[in-house]
Amino acid sequence: MQPKKFLFGNKRYFDFSLLFIVLFLLAFGLVMVFSTSSYASSLAHDGDGLFFLRRQLISVAVGLFMMVVVSFIPFGIYKRFALLIYLASILCILLVLPLGRTINGARRWIYVFGMSIQPAEIVKIGIIIFTATLLSKMSNKERTSWKGVLLTLIPAGIISAMLYFITTNLSSAIIVALIAACMLMIAAPKCYKLYILLALAGIGTVALIILIVKGAGSGSLGFRGERILAWLNPEAYADGKGFQILQSLYGIGSGGIWGKGLGKSMQKLGFLPEASNDMIFSIICEELGLFGGLAVILMFILLLWRIRDASVYCTDMFGNLLVTGVFAHIAIQVIINIAVASNSIPNTGMPLPFISYGGSSVIFILMEIGLVMNVARHSDFKEAPAPAPAEDKDGEDNEAEE
Amino acid sequence: MVKSSNKKAAKSAERGRARSVSNRLGVFFLAVLLVFVALSVRLFFITRDNSAVYQQKILSQQIYDSQVINAKRGEIVDANGTVLAASKEVYNVILDVKQLRLKNESNGNNIAQTTTVEALVNIFGADRVTVNKYIEAVPDSQYYVVKRGITYEEMSRFLPLITKPEEGNLEQSLYNKDITGVWFEKYYVRYYPQNSLACDVIGFSLSDGNASYGLEEYYNDVLTGTAGRRYGYLSDEALMETTTIPATDGNTLVTTIDANIQMMVEKRLKAFSDQYKDNARKGLGANNIGCIVMRANTGEVLAMASYPNYNLNDPMDLSSLYTEEDLKKMSEEGTLRDAYDALWKNYCIADTYEPGSVMKPFTVAMGLETGTIKGNESYFCGGSLVVANHEIACHNTNGDGWLTVKGAVAQSCNVALMQMVEKIGAKNFLDYQSVFNIGLRTNIDLAGESRTDALVFNEKTLNASELATSSFGQGFNVTMIQMAAGYAALVNGGYYYEPHVVSKILSSSGSVVKNIEPRLIKQVISNNTSDIIRDYCNAVVTDGTGWRAKPAGYAIGGKTGTAETVPRGNGEYVVSFACHVPADNPEIICYVVIDRPNVSKQEDAKYSSIVSKQILTDILPYLNIPMTEELTDAQKQELEELDLSVLTNRGEESEDEEKKEEGATNGN
Repeated sequence: MQPKKFLFGNKRYFDFSLLFIVLFLLAFGLVMVFSTSSYASSLAHDGDGLFFLRRQLISVAVGLFMMVVVSFIPFGIYKRFALLIYLASILCILLVLPLGRTINGARRWIYVFGMSIQPAEIVKIGIIIFTATLLSKMSNKERTSWKGVLLTLIPAGIISAMLYFITTNLSSAIIVALIAACMLMIAAPKCYKLYILLALAGIGTVALIILIVKGAGSGSLGFRGERILAWLNPEAYADGKGFQILQSLYGIGSGGIWGKGLGKSMQKLGFLPEASNDMIFSIICEELGLFGGLAVILMFILLLWRIRDASVYCTDMFGNLLVTGVFAHIAIQVIINIAVASNSIPNTGMPLPFISYGGSSVIFILMEIGLVMNVARHSDFKEAPAPAPAEDKDGEDNEAEE
Repeated sequence: MVKSSNKKAAKSAERGRARSVSNRLGVFFLAVLLVFVALSVRLFFITRDNSAVYQQKILSQQIYDSQVINAKRGEIVDANGTVLAASKEVYNVILDVKQLRLKNESNGNNIAQTTTVEALVNIFGADRVTVNKYIEAVPDSQYYVVKRGITYEEMSRFLPLITKPEEGNLEQSLYNKDITGVWFEKYYVRYYPQNSLACDVIGFSLSDGNASYGLEEYYNDVLTGTAGRRYGYLSDEALMETTTIPATDGNTLVTTIDANIQMMVEKRLKAFSDQYKDNARKGLGANNIGCIVMRANTGEVLAMASYPNYNLNDPMDLSSLYTEEDLKKMSEEGTLRDAYDALWKNYCIADTYEPGSVMKPFTVAMGLETGTIKGNESYFCGGSLVVANHEIACHNTNGDGWLTVKGAVAQSCNVALMQMVEKIGAKNFLDYQSVFNIGLRTNIDLAGESRTDALVFNEKTLNASELATSSFGQGFNVTMIQMAAGYAALVNGGYYYEPHVVSKILSSSGSVVKNIEPRLIKQVISNNTSDIIRDYCNAVVTDGTGWRAKPAGYAIGGKTGTAETVPRGNGEYVVSFACHVPADNPEIICYVVIDRPNVSKQEDAKYSSIVSKQILTDILPYLNIPMTEELTDAQKQELEELDLSVLTNRGEESEDEEKKEEGATNGN
C-alpha cells in the first residue's frame, strides 16, 4: 500500500510522528530537569530554582533550531566532507588540551565564547557520518573482508582511544566504538569476521570482570575495577563507588508502581549524585513510579521505530547508514543509561538522550534527529521496493503522514 | 543503452543493498526491543522486591539540616549582685574550604582564595601559610577552625566584609564579594571575674554542661539551661524553611556569699600563709587553712575560704604552688592528679580532721542537757588522768588545779572533761553525737562534702579510753562545716540550721524561680543550756585560752582547739578557733582551722585565734554589728591604721602580694 504524497511530493515528506515524539521527550525532559534540579539550583544560585531549567531551555531551543536547519540540508553533502568531518572531530578532542578546564578531575569540555561544549558529543555525529561514508563506498564483499572490517573500525577506534585517554571519558569511548561496530554489523550481511571480533571483545570483558572479582582482595585495583565490584555488590561499597548506584536503586525501588508524585522525589535533595543528569531515570521512577519509567522506555521504543522507519523508503545506502548510526547511538545510550540506573551493568556516566540536563548532549542529538528527518524527506515511495512482510508498517506509515 | 541499463542495474543493486540495510536495522530494532523488555522486567523486580525497604532507607537518610543553639550557662552572683561566675559569647572563625574551592573553580581563578585568606590574616591574625596549606591539603573540608574564641567585637570587624549592603550603599560599604566560605560559630565560655575569689565555693566549668566542684557542680542542672535547635525542613513547595526553637538560658544563682567578706577572709588566710611561709619547714604557712563565716540564726554562709587556692579561670595552673621540676616529677610519678584534687576540693567541707578542744562545749552541752552534770561541779586536774590503764595528759601537763565547769571550758582542761564524759556515759555521748550531726553530712548545697560516718565512734568502738579522748575532740573526725553548723546551734539557742550557700534561683530574665529559705532542722539543746554554753564560751575569750581572738570593741565568745594529728607524737597539730559575735546574742559564727601551721611548736591555738581576730576586725564593722565596748586609745590607733590599710590600700596590697608571689615562684 503506497502512502499518499504529502504536499509537494516526496521531497517535502515530513515525519511528524518523529517530531512529536521528540518534542514530547524534550518537554518531558524539561519538566524532569526542573523537578530534579530546582532544589540543587536554589542552593547553588541564591534561591534561583530555575537556573538549570533556563539553561536547558536555551539548549533545547538551539538544538531544535539546529535540527530544523539540518533537516533541510541534503544528506548527500556530508559524504563529500566526511574526511574533513572526521579530522575536525579529532581536532575537537585535541582542543580540550588548550581550551579545556578540569572539572571533577576530568577535562571534558572546551570553552569558546563563554560556552562550554563537550567534544565527545560532536564526535559522535562525526563518527556516524564518517563510518556511513566508508561503508557506503565499499561493496558488500569488501565490507565482509578483514580489510573492510578493519578499515571501518580503526578510525572509530582511534577516536575512541583519544576520548578515553585525553578526556578520560570511558562512556563516550564505548559509545563511539559501539556505534561503529553496530553500523558495520548492519551494513555487512553475515560478516563473521566482525562477529568473531565482537565475541572476542565479549569474552575479554567477561574475563576482565572475573579477574577483577578474583583479585578483589589484593586491593591493587584501579577505580574502574572497584566500579565493577560495586556493581556486583553495591551495599558493600555504599560509601564509595557503590553510593550513587545504591541511591539510584533506592530511588527506583521507593517509587513503587505509581511513584511518589511529580516533584516529590526525596533522592534529588542531594542524595543521588547527578540526579538531573546521568541518574535522571532513577528520579523519574521515584516520582512517577514503574509506570513512568516504562512510559519513558515506550517513548524511546516509538522514537527508535520512527527512526528505523525513515530507512524503509530510503533508496540510498549512505542515507540508510546514517539512519542506522543515529539509531544505534540513541539505542545504545538509552540502554546503557537505564541499565546503569537499574544496576544492570557497571556504573558509567551516560546522559539519557533528550531528557537529561546537558546542553551539548541535547543539541547534537537533535542535530542527529535533523539528519534522520532529512533522510526521511528523501523517501522514494515509488522506487523503493515493496516492504518486506516482516517489517510491514503500512498502518503506521499512514498515521505518520497525517 | 547498455550503459543506461548498467546504470539502472547499479541503481537497483544500490536500492537492494539499502533495502537490506533497512531490513537488518529492523532486526536490530527487534533486538533493541528485547533489551528494553529485559530492562523493564528488571525495573519491575526492583520495584516489586525492594519498594518497602528502599522507602525506609530513603527516609532514614533524611537528616534535616539542624544546628544546636547553645544555651547560656547561668551566672553565679554574691548576695550583693557581684558576679562571681558568668558566661560570655565567643566565636570560632570557621572556613568552608569546599565552598571557597568551588567559587575559585567557577571564577576560573584564585582570587576568592587570595582575598579570603588575606582578610582572615588581616583581621584575625591567622597564619597565611597554615591556612593555605590546609586549603591545599583538604580541599573538601567544610569545617576548618581558623581561630578559636574571638570576641563579639573582633567578629564585628569582619562582618561588614561579608554582609551584602542594601542597594545604593554599595560604594561606602566594605563588602567584598570574593570573600567566601567564612562563618562564625557562636558558643559560650565560662569566666570568673574575681579569679580565685571563693574558688572552693564556686567550682569551675571547663566545657559546656560539665562542671567540677562547688556550686557549679552541685547546681549544674540549674545553671546549664536547655539548648535550642535551628532546623530546616522542606515545605510543600520544596523550599527550605527553617524553624528555631530558642535556647533556654540557665538560671542565675544568688548566693549568700558576700564577696567583700569573702575577700577580707581570703586576704587574712593568705597573709597568714605568707607570713609563716618557709618558717619552720619548707612550704606554705600551713598545710591548709580554712575559714567559714556564717550567720548564726539562718545557716547562711557568708564566706567560705581556704588557702592555698587557685584561679578559677585557669584551674590547671599549679605554678604558684609547685616548681616546674616538681610538676614534672609529679606527672612522672602519677601524683599530679592528687595534687589537683587536693587543690580543687573545698577544704571546709571535704577535708576531715580531729576537732580538738572545740568539741568541749559540745561535751558540756551533752552533760547539761542529759542532766548528768549540773554545772556547779568542780574537778581537779593534776596534769593527767588514767583511763582504762592509759595515762591521758592534759595540754597543761602541770595541771590546772581545781576547776569549775566554766573554768574547765575556759582553760580547756582535758582532765576535767574526761571526768565529765565519764558521767555522761557512752550512750549519751553517741546519742548527742548524732544530735549534733557529727558523722553525718550537713547537706550544704555544695558538691564534694565528705562522708564521715565511718570516721566517728559507734557502740562497738567507743570504749572508755575512746570516750575519754572524745570528750576533748580527739579520736574521731569531722568536717569544718559540721563543726560550724553545730557550734552555731550551741550558741544560738539550740537551733540547728542546715548550712546553705544559695539563697535564690533567678531565671535568666531575672524573675525568681525559687527562694531558698533558711532551713531549721531541729532543736539540739534547750535555750537554757544554750545560754549556759554561750556564757562558758564567752569566758574562753575573757578569761581563758581564746583571749587573743578578741577584736577591739567587740565582746565575743569562742573556743580554741588543738588536736594532734595521726600519727601521734610527731609534733603535728591542727589548731582551730570557733567563735560567735556578739557575745550575748550571736549573729555571726566564724570558724578558723589551721592544718599544721608552719611553726616549730604547732600545739598553740594562738595562731587560729589571731587569724580569727584579724578576720573579725575586718568583717564586723562591714556587717554593721555595733561595738559594745569602749575602745582604749591604743586600740583606736590600731584600728585606724587597719582601716587605712583595709579601705585605701587594698588594691595596692593585693598587687604587692602578687608581685611577692611571682618573686617567690621565680626564687624557687
